[in-house]
Amino acid sequence: MKIRRSALIELAFITLLITACRTSALTGPADVKKDEVIIAISSEPTSLDPTQGWGHGTTPLIQSTLVEFTQDMTFKHDLATDYSLSDDGITWTFTIRDDVTFTDGVKLTAADVVFTFETAKDSQSSLDLTFLEKTEAPDDTTVIFTMTQPTATFLGTIATIGIVPEHAYGDDYGIHPIGSGPFVFVQWNRQEQLILAANEDYYGTVPAIKKATLVFMDEDAAFAAVKSEQVDIALTAATLAAQDIEGYILHSVTTVDNRGMTLPVQPAGKAATKDGYPVGNNVTCNIELRQAIAYALDREYLAKVALNGFADPAYSENDGLPWNNPDVAIETDITKARQLLTDAGWQDNDGDGILEKDGIIAEFTCIYPSGDSVRQAVALAASDQIMDIGIKINVEGTSWDDIARRMFSDAVLMGWGSSNPYTSYSLYHSSNMLRDDYYNPEGYANETVDAYLNAAMQALTTAESYEYWKLAQWDGETGTAMKGDCPWVWLVNIQHLYYAREGLDIGKQQLHAHGASMPLIQNLKEWTWNE
Amino acid sequence: MIEIISKQILKIILLLLAVSVIAFTLVTLSPVDPVQQYLLGAGAVSPAQRVQLEAYWGVNAPPLQRYLNWLCALLRGDLGTSLIYRRPVMDIIAERFLNSFALMMCAWLFTGIFGSVLGCIMGMYKDKMPDRIIKKLCYILCSAPTFWLGLIILLLFSVWLRWFPIGFSTPIGMLNSDVSIWQRLYHLFLPALTLSLVSFGNIALHTRQKLIDVLNSEYILFARARGESDRTLLLRHGLRNTLLPALTLQFASFAELFGGSVLAETIFSYPGLGSAVSAAGLNSDVPLLLGITLFSALFVAIGNLIANILYGIIDPQIGKGAGL
Repeated sequence: MKIRRSALIELAFITLLITACRTSALTGPADVKKDEVIIAISSEPTSLDPTQGWGHGTTPLIQSTLVEFTQDMTFKHDLATDYSLSDDGITWTFTIRDDVTFTDGVKLTAADVVFTFETAKDSQSSLDLTFLEKTEAPDDTTVIFTMTQPTATFLGTIATIGIVPEHAYGDDYGIHPIGSGPFVFVQWNRQEQLILAANEDYYGTVPAIKKATLVFMDEDAAFAAVKSEQVDIALTAATLAAQDIEGYILHSVTTVDNRGMTLPVQPAGKAATKDGYPVGNNVTCNIELRQAIAYALDREYLAKVALNGFADPAYSENDGLPWNNPDVAIETDITKARQLLTDAGWQDNDGDGILEKDGIIAEFTCIYPSGDSVRQAVALAASDQIMDIGIKINVEGTSWDDIARRMFSDAVLMGWGSSNPYTSYSLYHSSNMLRDDYYNPEGYANETVDAYLNAAMQALTTAESYEYWKLAQWDGETGTAMKGDCPWVWLVNIQHLYYAREGLDIGKQQLHAHGASMPLIQNLKEWTWNE
Repeated sequence: MIEIISKQILKIILLLLAVSVIAFTLVTLSPVDPVQQYLLGAGAVSPAQRVQLEAYWGVNAPPLQRYLNWLCALLRGDLGTSLIYRRPVMDIIAERFLNSFALMMCAWLFTGIFGSVLGCIMGMYKDKMPDRIIKKLCYILCSAPTFWLGLIILLLFSVWLRWFPIGFSTPIGMLNSDVSIWQRLYHLFLPALTLSLVSFGNIALHTRQKLIDVLNSEYILFARARGESDRTLLLRHGLRNTLLPALTLQFASFAELFGGSVLAETIFSYPGLGSAVSAAGLNSDVPLLLGITLFSALFVAIGNLIANILYGIIDPQIGKGAGL
């Protein structure tokens, strides 16, 4: 009898709680507001201060930028009305709009722009402004940037730095930002939600979405939130996306969020990194072996078996971007792969299915961060395919800390991809070789490529720099491409997947960079609800 | 009494010092690199910037010097600035602790009350039907991992039945100023339930065992012979004698509670200390991790201190200093 009573009390308590709160707390599917949106993403920003890294790589939403990216990754004016570069490539002169105010009503002037860039440079945050020497504002609408050397990627950097108000900037700006962008900051509950409202005084088109709530949850929680219809759009993973959810549509967005294998290009035992980690691998240092792997892979099939088809073949770190060299693409050609190996003297003498040459067995380890299901699936599927040509890849999951020690001597399943070509410089320039920043652990260096990369960085026009970025990939004889030096075997560009409620139009998405959260909302001002 | 308490406080201070040394050593031995963490996901960064970042975070100073710097700052009440939140660690702990405290207290009371009530029921009906059912339930709950239980509860009540929100401490999209206490409790319910279910079995089983011991004693036999009913037996003799071990267990469970809250808060995206510490650990946020470690040690130590003081009140023999 006593048990039953306690159970009854518990039940009564629960019912009471529910009835007390249900009326106001639940946003059921019936009362979805047509100018509000709830977005579930996995990564929370650390700060909303553009000088501390907010909006870097995408758009800052709350603040506005001098120029902005277009859909096809070129630039158009935002705050700027005009800009020019001096003939020596050192001085950028920007004219800015005269009619822009911050959301607290104070006018945005060139002094704010100067303040923003100086703060950003001093903040030691991850924004790349190393080549910026000084910023000046001769009058209220003119800004002059002086560089230490020509920097073709500077426009890309400018497009991601939102302008902060000098008069309202303080230590807590990152948690209470004021800007002049399409959205106004309303409230931020850490690890829970960030609420933004449309800026009704925005100088551009006022967004149709009047209130956007970003909620931060991992993919599993987001999936549960979609199933219980508590969010309008949620980031999901290729492994979950095979399920249909009623009332929701699966959106997939093409990306440069690439996955590939770094293959140590130096022989083992000759050198060590500055921290004393071993460098080089006697199997992957053979170029014909690296190229054979590249040619033997069927990337379409890889995307299908490993990622439910939610991926596209990858041939470089910048597929589909304006500075990509189309010549880097290769056809799957197993005959060619076998030929490369045979010509170089790789043979299977002991009949175990794995090739040998001069006592070296064609077998190496590829490590990936354990817990990353996408990298695991891709690595396993790739190693399966490569077994066909007699090369054995042992796939092993481990921690990032362990990867940081072993990446110079083992293959690693890595991923990059950004809207700034500076990534290519970091990946392949010899000055960046064997550092602990994960860009060039394979120890790749090529003087010709270095020259192209330097030329690209110092080019006077964007178009000219693109030509050099392309030459660095493949100039007809050498380059970073798989048909060239092949320090990377590129595998797939993963698609970013979102469950969106029927009727939500998320506009035309730009090519997404690495990381699926922020790129989704960079065009939030274009989102609408269809009736 | 005052002497005992001041002795205990001295012990707590020494304990905290020891915890700080161990925690700092572990962090130093681990290969976490705050600079690395800062750069990951931030896009392309030039070497010059890296050097600047390393200097800023003091990566190249010797460990002992870093520890002393940190300890000095600590004594001044400055726990440093969190890497992931870019705010003083002290502020984050203060803010998060309120959430966690509410959660843990709800779970704690729930566990204590239901655990001892069910324990008493089991003890009274030893080997009969109610005992067998509740005992099995307790065993299942004891062996179920928190995260698994949390996921099941989440699936059942939030996804299928849609009775409760899937997480957070306030409704999605609602301004802080509009959130009522009922809504906070409503969001608190599932994580608190998960947390209490995990430690609840322990309390119930211990109470049961103690009650059975008491009921088998000779003075109970005598009382029974005098014709006392089961009810008065429980109230007069049973409860008083089971209270002490139950209280020990209850206050000692502060540590478990804290550990469990890390998982419960993570599953229900509840913004407390538990989810902050897992975020800090996963993102190599050293200042925040150390700050919360110290704070949780303090929290658990205070729990034990309260238990000791209460002993003295409940059992005057111990209060005279014999037991401590």
